[in-house]
Amino acid sequence: MTDELRPADLETSPAPNPIWTRLSVIWLVPLVALAITLGIAWQSYADRGTLIEIDFADATGVRPGETVLKFREVEVGRVETVGFSRDLSSVRIGVRVNKDVAHFVDSEARFWLVRPQVSAQGISRLDTVLSGTFIEGYWDAESAGPQTEFQGLDKPPVTPDPTKGTWVELRAEDAGGLAEGAPVLFRGITVGRIQNLRLNDADSGVIIDAFIDAPHDRRLTTNTRFWDTSGISVSLSASGVSLDMRSLASLVQGGIEFDTFTTGGTFIQNGFPFRLYGTSEAARTSIFGSDLAEPARYTLLFDDAIEGLQRGSKVQFRGVEAGEVTDLSIKVLTDSTGTRYAQQQVVIALSPERLGLARGTERDIVNEFLATEVDSGLRARVAGVGLLGSTLVIELTDVPNVPPAVINLTAQPYPTLPTAEAKTNDLAASAEGVFQRIEALPIEELMASAIRSLDSISAVAESEDTRAVPGELAGLLEELRALVERLNQGGASEKAIAALDGMTEAASTVMSEFEGLAETLASTDAAAQAVAEMPLGEIGTKIDGILADIRTMLGSEDAERLPRALSDTLEESAALLAELREGGAAEKINGTLVAAQDAATAIESASERLPELTAKLESLVTTAERLVASYGERSAFNAEVLDTMRELRRATSAFGSLARMIERNPRAFILGR
Amino acid sequence: MQTARDAGLVGCTRCGKVWPAQTRECGRCGAALKRVDTAGLQAVWAWWFAGLIFYIPANLYPMLRTSTLAGNQQNTIIGGVIELITHHSYFVAAVVFVASVVIPVSKFIAIAYLALAVGNEHRAGAHRHLHLFEVVEFIGRWSMVDVFVVAILSALVQLGAVVSIHPGPAAAAFALSVALTMLSAQSFDPRLIWRGPARTTGP
Repeated sequence: MTDELRPADLETSPAPNPIWTRLSVIWLVPLVALAITLGIAWQSYADRGTLIEIDFADATGVRPGETVLKFREVEVGRVETVGFSRDLSSVRIGVRVNKDVAHFVDSEARFWLVRPQVSAQGISRLDTVLSGTFIEGYWDAESAGPQTEFQGLDKPPVTPDPTKGTWVELRAEDAGGLAEGAPVLFRGITVGRIQNLRLNDADSGVIIDAFIDAPHDRRLTTNTRFWDTSGISVSLSASGVSLDMRSLASLVQGGIEFDTFTTGGTFIQNGFPFRLYGTSEAARTSIFGSDLAEPARYTLLFDDAIEGLQRGSKVQFRGVEAGEVTDLSIKVLTDSTGTRYAQQQVVIALSPERLGLARGTERDIVNEFLATEVDSGLRARVAGVGLLGSTLVIELTDVPNVPPAVINLTAQPYPTLPTAEAKTNDLAASAEGVFQRIEALPIEELMASAIRSLDSISAVAESEDTRAVPGELAGLLEELRALVERLNQGGASEKAIAALDGMTEAASTVMSEFEGLAETLASTDAAAQAVAEMPLGEIGTKIDGILADIRTMLGSEDAERLPRALSDTLEESAALLAELREGGAAEKINGTLVAAQDAATAIESASERLPELTAKLESLVTTAERLVASYGERSAFNAEVLDTMRELRRATSAFGSLARMIERNPRAFILGR
Repeated sequence: MQTARDAGLVGCTRCGKVWPAQTRECGRCGAALKRVDTAGLQAVWAWWFAGLIFYIPANLYPMLRTSTLAGNQQNTIIGGVIELITHHSYFVAAVVFVASVVIPVSKFIAIAYLALAVGNEHRAGAHRHLHLFEVVEFIGRWSMVDVFVVAILSALVQLGAVVSIHPGPAAAAFALSVALTMLSAQSFDPRLIWRGPARTTGP
């Protein structure tokens, strides 16, 4: 049997399907998922914005991933990292800024942290207490090349947008009560803020930046004046006490107010310098004077004392106010022999425009101008102004006959102007002379001699001799009484009658001989006329003058002592009288008065014969009258004789009344009333 | 061990009746009879990869956006767990961590393991594999607990400016991821567990 060859069984297997035929459509699902995920990832990456780095001094409340960056209060970015700068001097905050604004963030951009702020002006950004600190940024709409590193501001800027307003520079002597961020007011409305208080280069004052918001900055012109309204102003006037306080914020932080008092100024640019006045009055008055915003300063050295000169004293340039004194000090120098001596150093601030130069003229040009003036004799000197020359000013004027001098431009801190000796005021000098003469008048001596005279009078009154007068008076009365008695006894009446009879006869004789007397009387008359014509008026005027002088003298202070001396005298007189009383003077006087009464009685008894005497007298008078009548009426002699007769009659009656008065009131004899 | 495939039979996945391998349709319940085929694994893997792709953004993007007066807060899944731990809410942290991290990751691992194990000679573990598959299927729906939490919070906590909660992009990604893994698990034919190494020859 043969092996039947038969082919081996083929091991067949279906051909494997190609891999794409075996692939299910289900694989599209993960592909789509992958596409979606990658798409989202790409979008996230593409939209994530630009990373910028901002350096801050500290990063209070900044948390990565949470703290946001805001532009006009809209979130435009988020903090990603908080780290430090390489030298650890500041915190470097990485902020992812949204893509749509990132290209605006250029070198002009400013960043600051916004936190709750509690200040005198109130509480602001209280929302950040809950929402947390955020970073505020400000940039303009012009992109000028992106930048990725920034320096953050320490505090929020006064204004986020510096184009919406005007910056001005205020110059003041000192910052007073002003603080950063204090308001700038216009008629009491806050229209701006101050910032950046700093000393100027020479340390002679402070410079303050003030930002006035638009649209109020339209009110700023070159004629605008700024003044400080810090604190409280209390003024006392006739209308009472006036208390002026702008606002609570002004009290704490200070404040600045401005106003434009006059029109005609030109509008200003950013950074225009203004002077800051202390009070509104000063600002108001300054519109007529110089605005020393940019003064040129000079040093003056005086050898003499300059007492009375003070800061703020005026500086006059040829009689026109051109500036003021800003500082006074002493400078100790050493001369060639090594002796130290002191000079008064005065710093003056001059306004170029008051010197006739343009406003804001360069220092060098002012120096040049003054150097020329100094060459032609300009000197600085102290002068007194006002009625009595009591107000001192610095005068820049041409002084004749001065040795040549030059301006020292290299002196520090300011150029030195040559000085001249102080000028004395003519009016002041003559006024001084008048005062000196008045002062030289011996008023004190005059008063002293007057007081001495009064003292002498009182001394006389006090003297023993004066006290002896009453005693002597008593003695005199005694003698009088004795005389009267004697007269009584000696038949005086009869003798008198006889005498009158004789007189009558004599008169008759006289009458017969009178005709020869006419001439004599005429000459007497002429003499009387001469006496009448004497210049009594002048004498009277002179006496008046003397009296006026005395009155003036009495008006003086020393005259006040006179009454005191007089009262002393009177007191002494009273004491004298008291002594008299005590010394039994009254008794004596009484005795005297008794005696006087006796005498009066005797006189009375004697006067019983008076009718007869009177009759005789009357006959005598009648005779005389007849005689006179014969002599002729209306003649001067006649009148005079008549007067004599009347006097005689009055004497007679007075004699009687005297006697009666003494009888009634004996004291009157002593006391005179 | 002889399997249905070895015997040239195919079982109905709906009513369980066994038919000859070539039968197209179940004569009892009318369901289409599917051959036990590794082609089904493609769907498993496709859903699995899609789920994994979405699981990545679900973890990178924030799940919850909480706006309160004190500001906005965004938390990813892990970030939220860490924050809960710092607030000493350990139980909630554990729940979130298990539901959002442990279970989905375990599911990925479990499905991948089962799919890779198909056709492996080690049939001894077939019973354990079936248990694993049943656990994965059962637990799959619970992975959505995280999405439910976000949905409920977003719906309830809307108090205006005081506090409001919004779902983040991760919530959607996470939901997709969970859904896709569930589809992946469903695509897996448990009969493959028993099939053993693929054979080209018939019985």
